[in-house]
Amino acid sequence: MTTNETLIKVESLEKAFGEIQVLKGITTDIKKGEVVVVIGPSGSGKSTFLRTLNLLEEPTGGKIYFEGTDITDPQVNINLHRQKMGMVFQQFNLFPHMTVLKNMTIGPIKLQGISKKEAEKRALALLERVGLADRADAYPSQLSGGQKQRVAIVRALCMQPEVMLFDEPTSALDPEMVGEVLDVMKSLANEGMTMVVVTHEMGFAREVADRVIFIDEGIIMEENTPDELFSNPKSSRLQDFLGKVI
Amino acid sequence: MKEWFQEISDEFVLNFIKDNRWEWIVEGLKNTLIITFFATLIGIAIGIIIATVRSTYDKNYETMKKHKSLGFYVLSFFNFVCKLYLTVIRGTPVVVQLLIMYFIILSFSNDEATIAIITFGINSGAYVAEIFRSGVMSIDKGQFEAGRSLGFNYIQTMIFIVVPQMFKIVLPTLCNEFIVLLKETSIAGYVGIVDLTKAGDLIRGRTFSAFMPLIAVAIIYLVLVMLFTWLVGKLERRLRNSDH
Repeated sequence: MTTNETLIKVESLEKAFGEIQVLKGITTDIKKGEVVVVIGPSGSGKSTFLRTLNLLEEPTGGKIYFEGTDITDPQVNINLHRQKMGMVFQQFNLFPHMTVLKNMTIGPIKLQGISKKEAEKRALALLERVGLADRADAYPSQLSGGQKQRVAIVRALCMQPEVMLFDEPTSALDPEMVGEVLDVMKSLANEGMTMVVVTHEMGFAREVADRVIFIDEGIIMEENTPDELFSNPKSSRLQDFLGKVI
Repeated sequence: MKEWFQEISDEFVLNFIKDNRWEWIVEGLKNTLIITFFATLIGIAIGIIIATVRSTYDKNYETMKKHKSLGFYVLSFFNFVCKLYLTVIRGTPVVVQLLIMYFIILSFSNDEATIAIITFGINSGAYVAEIFRSGVMSIDKGQFEAGRSLGFNYIQTMIFIVVPQMFKIVLPTLCNEFIVLLKETSIAGYVGIVDLTKAGDLIRGRTFSAFMPLIAVAIIYLVLVMLFTWLVGKLERRLRNSDH
């Protein structure tokens, strides 16, 4: 599904928290329709990398171009760009005081100015797709972890984003619920959604990714197609890492 | 037994019926309720403003420090003013604040009730502000990030996502603050206002009988607080319908 059109262009991206340099210059292009899986040991900076893409973490150096616009420029209204970058968190972060339907529609209604009716139609169609149409009026506390994460995914999709960012979406789930979330992500990938996924699910990376990026110590140590990367790791760091996780 | 009952009954007549003394209690109760009500409104308004400034400052200090834009200095200035206000108001007794207002700052005014409303409002605002701020700070950072990542700006995220959750958390504490406020207005007599407490005391001064008027006043306060607690309890249960 990968096209030649670059959606996100990352140029020597750096991020420091005080004295600690977490990202030490990351450069990569994410094409439209591409599924990029980011792997790496904990503390390697892979989550920080993902969170800088929509500026939840403000980079301390380098540039990020989204659809050709440098979104690290303080003059740019980042809120408009974030509407096109859906984000899914490890801890779901559903709004506990709203029903599933309200969680999904508040963004489109308040930010895209569409009617409540239209937003609910859009939301219900998405819920149908992930098999949760009957839970539209439930509150997040009434859902299982897997259901919560599926709702979090369709909440982001309800904004009709250009790219979806996944920050360890299955790490907080009980093992038996991982599958249902990965299935949703797979079908999303098959439909041509551009995705950047930080995950420890190597099976998912192997099966779905167009490209796998191995981040360690704040730089891209190695990147390749999943087949090449997993069967023929070049750096010793990646060999070590794969030895531990597979 | 009969004698005892007769005595009680005489006391009651003396303190409340004779010369229509019950009217003082009614008048005092009215003043207490008016002062508490309007002071509450002022307190909430001040509380929201101060808490907004303080938590905006706390949440954005790190990022804004880097850019050092004009907004940073404006926000820092307001944050300083708010902190000063909190320190002074929380650091001095409310009686002293009332006397200062009455005899110094608002000495040109003859409207004691308004002076009391302003004093108690300003006083309560300091406590309400800290209640709101601690509520905002207690909301999980992820909620904030989820709002921002959908594309809401800082203020929209606050209004749609953080504040509704915060309100539910702080409701019991806020309720407590208003119970304290209701009872604190009993010092209004210091500046010549006939509030509930003063009314009871005036009756005592006339009848030289302390038991009846003071116990009556105490019971009225108690009933008011119980009524208010019951109402807030109902509201709390209504708000809780989202967490099962």
